[in-house]
Amino acid sequence: METTSIGHHISQQFNVELEEIRNRVLSMGGKVEEQLANAVTAMLEGDTAQAGQVVQNDYQVNAMEVMIDEECSRILARRQPAAFDLRLIVAIIKTITDLERIGDQAERIARMATELAECSGSGGSNQCLELEHLAQHVKHMLHSSLDAFARMDPEAAVEVARLDDRIDKEYESMMRQLITFMMEDPRTITRTLHLMWAARALERIGDHAKNICEYVIYMVKGKDVRHTSIEQMEAEARGEG
Amino acid sequence: MTEAAQTMNEETPMTHGLDLGALQRERRTLNLQDETIALEVNNLDLYYGEKQALMGINMQIPQKRVTAYIGPSGCGKSTLLRCFNRMNDLIDGVHIDGNITLDGENIYSPAANVADLRRRIGMVFQKPNPFPKSIYENVAYGLRIQGIKNRRVIDEVVEKALRGAALWDEVKDRLHDNALGLSGGQQQRLVIARAIAIEPEVLLLDEPASALDPISTLKIEELIYELKDKYTIVIVTHNMQQAARVSDYTAFMLMGKLVEFGDTDTLFTNPKMKETEDYITGRYG
Amino acid sequence: MRVNLKKWFHDGDAWVWLNAAALSVSLLMVVGLLLLIAVRGLGHFWAKPVHEFDYRESDTQVLRLIGEIHDEERVLAEQLRAAGMEVASDEEMVTRYLFKTGNRDVGGLDFRWVLDERIEARRHPESLTVLERREWGNFYGYVRAVKEQGKVVAEGESAWPELQRRLERVGNIYSQIQKIQKDEIGAINYRMERLRLKGRKMELEGDNTPQALAAIAAERAELDASYQVLQKQLNELYSRVQRDSVAVEVMDGQLVELPMDKVVRAYRPNAMSFFDKLAFYLEKVWEFVSDDPREANTEGGIFPAIFGTVMMVILMSIIVTPFGVIAAVYLREYAKQGPVTRLIRIAVNNLAGVPSIVYGVFGLGFFVYFLGGNIDALFFPEADPAPTFGTPGILWAALTLALLTLPVVIVATEEGLSRIPSSIREGSLALGATKIETLWRTILPMASPAMMTGLILAVARAAGEVAPLMLVGVVKLAPSLPLDGNFPFMHLERKFMHLGFHIYDVGFQSPNVEAARPLVYATALLLVVIIVALNLAAIAIRNHLREKYRALEH
Repeated sequence: METTSIGHHISQQFNVELEEIRNRVLSMGGKVEEQLANAVTAMLEGDTAQAGQVVQNDYQVNAMEVMIDEECSRILARRQPAAFDLRLIVAIIKTITDLERIGDQAERIARMATELAECSGSGGSNQCLELEHLAQHVKHMLHSSLDAFARMDPEAAVEVARLDDRIDKEYESMMRQLITFMMEDPRTITRTLHLMWAARALERIGDHAKNICEYVIYMVKGKDVRHTSIEQMEAEARGEG
Repeated sequence: MTEAAQTMNEETPMTHGLDLGALQRERRTLNLQDETIALEVNNLDLYYGEKQALMGINMQIPQKRVTAYIGPSGCGKSTLLRCFNRMNDLIDGVHIDGNITLDGENIYSPAANVADLRRRIGMVFQKPNPFPKSIYENVAYGLRIQGIKNRRVIDEVVEKALRGAALWDEVKDRLHDNALGLSGGQQQRLVIARAIAIEPEVLLLDEPASALDPISTLKIEELIYELKDKYTIVIVTHNMQQAARVSDYTAFMLMGKLVEFGDTDTLFTNPKMKETEDYITGRYG
Repeated sequence: MRVNLKKWFHDGDAWVWLNAAALSVSLLMVVGLLLLIAVRGLGHFWAKPVHEFDYRESDTQVLRLIGEIHDEERVLAEQLRAAGMEVASDEEMVTRYLFKTGNRDVGGLDFRWVLDERIEARRHPESLTVLERREWGNFYGYVRAVKEQGKVVAEGESAWPELQRRLERVGNIYSQIQKIQKDEIGAINYRMERLRLKGRKMELEGDNTPQALAAIAAERAELDASYQVLQKQLNELYSRVQRDSVAVEVMDGQLVELPMDKVVRAYRPNAMSFFDKLAFYLEKVWEFVSDDPREANTEGGIFPAIFGTVMMVILMSIIVTPFGVIAAVYLREYAKQGPVTRLIRIAVNNLAGVPSIVYGVFGLGFFVYFLGGNIDALFFPEADPAPTFGTPGILWAALTLALLTLPVVIVATEEGLSRIPSSIREGSLALGATKIETLWRTILPMASPAMMTGLILAVARAAGEVAPLMLVGVVKLAPSLPLDGNFPFMHLERKFMHLGFHIYDVGFQSPNVEAARPLVYATALLLVVIIVALNLAAIAIRNHLREKYRALEH
C-alpha cells in the first residue's frame, strides 16, 4: 500500500522526494518515541542523568521539524502536488507539528523527573505505578499512530484514535487519586503536582497521537475528521469513498 | 471538560458563538445540483470515420461558471469542445450520435442554424488567430457579419469588447494598426474581445494560453475570472494547474470517456476515480 | 591527386561549382540576349554619319557614293573572287561594308556592298542632308533649292533654313490632314456604317416604315453634308501641303525634286553636335513608340502594336482572373476532395502543357467560328454576310489566351488558398460567419497575393505568345485601334496589332528585310520592356498585398 501510493509517478525524482520525506517523518517519529521512552524511564527510575539527556536532545526533534517543514515547502513550490500527494504533504506538515509538541511534552516529563528526583523522598511508588501504566498506554498509542502513518492505514488509525478515550479516562482517575493524596498529606503536594504535570503531559501526548491518526485518515481518504465523533471517523475510514 | 467535548460532538452548530453550519455551507457553495444548466450533453458518441473518439458522454455545464476539461492528449476533450459549436461539422467523415442542448434546444437538430449557434457560442482557439486586418476591424468582424453598419454602434461595441478583454488601454491609440503587430498575449485577448463583441452566451476556450508566456497566461486567466460573471465559460487545457486556478468545475476525460466531473476543489484534492488521481498527480495509468 | 579529386567530389564541392557554373551561364545568356537586343535595337535611332565616298567601281569607272554604313564584315578574298569580283589586295581577308545609299525611287536599290580597299576618298561634308520620307525610305543628297509652286524661293546656303521652316509648316498641315482623315471622317464613316446596319436591321425585322426610312435618310443626308464639308477642308489642305518642294542633288549628280509633303524631316548628321544627336535620338525613339507604322511596318512607330498588346493582355487578365479564382475556390473550398477533384487537377495541370498553337486552333474553331458565328446570327443579322464577331478579333484573342493561362491562375490560387491556416477559417466561422462570408471577407483577401502571382505568370506567358494570336485576331496592320472615340468606344470585335507578331512580320515578311532588321531588334526590346513592366506592376501590387496580409509568414 505505502509504496503504491507514493510511487508510480512519471517523475522518478518526485517519487524519491516523497519517499525521502516520509522516511524523515518516520525517523522523526522514532526519535520522539525514543525521547518519550527515555523520559518515562528517567521518571520511573529517578535517573536525573537520563532526564538531562532527554532535555538536551529535544533540539534534535526541533531541528528535524524545521528541516521537514522546509522540504515540504520546497515540494509545494516546485511540484504543485495534487490530490493524494497534496494531502500527503499537508498531513506531513501537520504531523510534524504534533510530533514536535510530543517532543516538547517528553522534555517536560524529563524536567518533572529531575524535579521529582530532587525532592526525592520515599513512597508514592504506587502512584508511579499508575503513571507507568498510563505511560505504557501512551507509548503504545504513539507507536501505533506512527505505524498507521507508516502503513497509511486509516482503519488502524481509527483503532488508535479509540485508545485516546481510555487514556483520558485513566488520566482522570489518576487525577482523582492524586488529589486524594494531596488532601491526605499536604506534604506531598509538591511531589504530587510534579506527577500531575507529568500525567498531564502524557495525556497531551495521547491527544497529539490522536491528531496524527486523523491526519492519516485525511491523507488516505481525503476527509477531514477533526472535531467529529469517533463513529463518524470510523465510517469515513472504512470509507464509502 | 469531557462534558463540554461531548456537547460539542452532539450539537455541532453553536460553539463559541460561531455558526459552524454556515461555515460548512460557505465552504461548499459549489454544488452542481444548485446550478442553472446552460449546456447539456446526452449520450454523445462521435466517430471519425470508423474510429470512435467520444464514447457516451453525459454531462451538464452550469451557467456562468468556468468548466474546465483536462485529460491527456487525444482523450477527446478538444473534440468535445468543438461539438458545442459544431466545429466538427467542418471535418469530413465525422459522425455524431446523441445530442447537446443549449438552453433546452438541441443544437444538432436539423432545424438548427449553425451560424446562429456559433453566434451564441463563441470560441477562442489554441493559437491566436487574428485576421490580417486592423485591431478595430477584427473586433468589428462579427458585427459586420451580422450586417450592423452604424458606425457609432460599432465604435461602442468595439470599445466595450476591448475593455472587457482588458486590452483597451494597451491598444486604444492604435486601433487601426494591423492586429498582427500585437504580441501573442495581446493577440489572444484580441481574439477573446472579438468573440465577446457579439455577446455570446457561452465562450469556448480551446487551450487559450498554451502558446503564451507565463505572464500573458496569467492575464488570460485573470480575464477568464472576470468574464465568468457574464458568460458561461468552457475551457480545455493541458495545464492542470491552470484548470485548478481558473475553473469552478472540472471534468477529467480519458480515451474518449468522461471519467469524472465535479467541482474543482474536490477534484483536485480528493478525486473519486483512480484514473483521475493518477492523472492529476502524474502517475502511470 | 587522385585521392584529392575523389575527396573533392565527395565533399560536394563539385556540385557547388556545377550549380554556380550553370547559374553563371544562364545569367550570361540572359544578359547577353538583352544586351544584343538593346544595342542593335537602340542603336538604330542614333543619327549615323553620312559618308561620301569616291569608289572605284571598276578600273575605269569611279563613282561617288553617298550613304550610311549599315554593317561591316570581313570576308575571304577567295570567296569574293569566286563570286566574280576582282580583289586587288593579297591579304586573305578583306573588309567590306553594307552601304545604305537610300534613294530607292531613284537608284532602285537602297543597299549595296562596298569593298574597303576600293574606296579612294572619304569625305563627310556638313551639308550632306538626310531626308526622311513617308514613302520609299531615306533620301541622301545635297539640298540645292527650295521651291514654291515650282518657283525657286531659296538657293544655296539659304535653302537649308528655308527648308526647315517650310517643313515645319508642312508638318502642321499634315497632322491636321491626319486628324481630319482619321478622327472626323473616320467617325462619320463609322456612323454611316451604323446607319446602314440600322436600316438593314429594320428591313430584316420588317420595321421599315416610311417614317423610319425617312429619318434614316435625313440622318444620312446630314452626315453626307458634314462629310462634304470635311472633304472640302481636306482638299484645301492638300493643295496647301503640296505647294512646296525641294530640289536635292543625289550622288550621281542628278537633281531630284521632292514634294515636301512626302518629307517627314530633314537633318544633317555630319553637322550635328553630340547633344543635337541626342535630341534627335529622343525624338526618334518617341516617334517609334508613339506613331503609326509606315512603309509596310518598316518605318515609323509601332504604337498600335504596343496598344494592342497591352490591351489584349489587360483584357485577358480581366477574363482569366475571375474564372481562375472561381475555379480554384470551388476546387479547394467547396468540392468534395476525391478522385474527381484529383482528375480535374491533373487535367488542369496538363492543360498548361498543351502547345499554344493548339489553343489557337481551338480558339479559331470554337470562339471565332462557333461562338462568334452564333453571336452574329443572333445579334447582328443586319451585317450579314460581313461577319462582326464571327471573325478573329481582340476579344477572341483575349479569350484564347485566357484559356491558355487559366491553369496557371488556378494552380497559383489553389496554392494560396491551401496556405491559409485553417485557424483563420475556423476563427471566422466561430464568429457566426457563413462559409461564403468567410471566403469573401477573409480568405480571398488573404489569398490575393497568390492570385496576383498567378496573374503575373499568366501575363508573362500571354504577352509573349504569338502563335495562337495569328489565328484569332492579330493582323499585320490594323486600320483602327480597338479603343477609340466612337461609341461604344471599346470595339472588341476589331482585329489588332501585336508586338510579337509585328516582330515576325517585320523580320520575315517585310519587302525590305535589310532596312527593317534594326526595327526587329527595337521592337523585341520594347516587347521585353513591356512584359517586364507588366510584371513589375503586378509584382508591386502583390508585394503591397503581401505586406498587408503577412499573417501567413508566422
